[in-house]
Amino acid sequence: MGAAVIPARIQTVRPADVVAKLRVEGVSKVYRRRRQAVTALESVNLHVHEGELVSLVGASGCGKSTLLSIVGGLVEATDGEVRVDGDRVVGPGADRGMVFQGYSLYPWKTVAENVSFGLEVARWPKAKRAERVDELLGVVGLRDVRDALPKELSGGMKQRVAIARALAPEPDLLLLDEPFGALDAQTKLHLHDFLLTVWRQLGATILMVTHDVEEAIYLSSRIYVMSARPGRIAEEIEVPFGTVRGSSIKRDRRFLDLRDELHESIG
Amino acid sequence: MIGERDPVTMHDEDARAPAWAASDAPTRTPGVRGRRQSPLLRIRGSLGIGWKIGLATAGVAAIVIVWTVKAASTTDASSVLPTPAATWSALVRLQRDGTLGADLWASLQRVLIGYTISVAIGVVLGIAIGTFASIEAFFEAQIGFLRYIPASALTPLFLIWLGIGEAPKIWLIVVGTVFYNVLMIADVARAVPRELLDASYTLGAGRTTVVRRVILRHCVPGIIDVARINLAAAWLMLVVAELLAAQEGLAYQITRAQRFRAVDTMFALLIVFGLIGLLSDLALRFIRNVTSPWARP
Repeated sequence: MGAAVIPARIQTVRPADVVAKLRVEGVSKVYRRRRQAVTALESVNLHVHEGELVSLVGASGCGKSTLLSIVGGLVEATDGEVRVDGDRVVGPGADRGMVFQGYSLYPWKTVAENVSFGLEVARWPKAKRAERVDELLGVVGLRDVRDALPKELSGGMKQRVAIARALAPEPDLLLLDEPFGALDAQTKLHLHDFLLTVWRQLGATILMVTHDVEEAIYLSSRIYVMSARPGRIAEEIEVPFGTVRGSSIKRDRRFLDLRDELHESIG
Repeated sequence: MIGERDPVTMHDEDARAPAWAASDAPTRTPGVRGRRQSPLLRIRGSLGIGWKIGLATAGVAAIVIVWTVKAASTTDASSVLPTPAATWSALVRLQRDGTLGADLWASLQRVLIGYTISVAIGVVLGIAIGTFASIEAFFEAQIGFLRYIPASALTPLFLIWLGIGEAPKIWLIVVGTVFYNVLMIADVARAVPRELLDASYTLGAGRTTVVRRVILRHCVPGIIDVARINLAAAWLMLVVAELLAAQEGLAYQITRAQRFRAVDTMFALLIVFGLIGLLSDLALRFIRNVTSPWARP
């Protein structure tokens, strides 16, 4: 499966006028707090092409998680619209799988049952369900703990389960909300390579929110930098590395320059 | 142990402590850093199984000893304070002549029926209130008002409305516990993490599925805990009901014993109440752990 997908993705960066998988157009979000209007997002435009891994970075409070929730359909935009494959997003759905910082696994379900939940909801036949769960547990390397409860797993393993669960119903788009924020540095590095492998193997389209600049550069093909108050897109950056990356790129001159530049613009 | 510091330390403390230091500022023994913690009096410490059993036994023994000594030194003990032995023989007598079984069953039946209704209402309304702001808004004022009416004050009204059969007793138990159950189960439902619901929506679950398969399931151990805690209130209402109008039942039997100044019988029945409470508590804890091993601490 994987080998067939890779060549198509080498040319990750395509002009924006090609029809994108995800288009966010003029999205604004205004909260009303005690008769005061707080603008969390102001006419945000962005797009993600099929098979791209795009990051959204910015200081805390810049509205990047709100933007992701709007794409997920969990929060309603005050203005503007989100389109996936041309369809307008009006609410949450399995076509936009989401992974949160706090794992949010069902504590009473085993690893396999957690991964299976979205398939049960979509009424997959039992045999197909078992097959898909087994395939995903293989991809995320958790076949050995398929019958364990979440509380028996480490943070890194829990997040792998959450990613497998979100991928199970074959979403068009995977939305990651600071997915590695709660993990220790060592586990985080492991999961970075894990995510790149999964992305390549399954040919997923991913939009990820993070405040970790190095994480964004290491993983993404493109980065949107957001500024705060009101949250808007300040910059769009192409990451000059191919899809097959090793940790050696972290010593590359361009990596370091980009990192410094991003740190500066996020402040 | 308190105030029992050795003189060297005291001296040491005086020498080192600045004038503004509080009197319980840490003492320092030369060559040792930090405060050693007592194994038994450590805050939120954990005990070995030996200590646990030993201390529990000592606690029960202490009560039995105080009781025995007090009863032995009371004149006319049989009508004021019976000895443990007299209480035991009263219990055996009740068991032999069959009244204990009949009364126990009568009371148990009332509590079982009344409390089951109460928990059922609690689960349905509590989950609904804790899940939907609209339903919460609809019920908030009524429950806020009704729950402050002491349920026992409704007894005369219930006797007029429902007669003196089983119905008023059962409804008294329902009314005396249902508000606690509803409000506490609503809190259990509110404690379901928002992210878990969001994750479910993005896995394709609709509202009904989320309520049924996520919220309700997540609330199971919490509901059992609420039921366990409020069960005591159900027995309280049972006693209120039986004291006023009943021909059988544990509390009715206590008032009957009062007429004959049979204090030993009263004590025996009180012990039965305590044992029922203890057993139901253990049973509900067991059910909680079996149905929700994931929530076991």
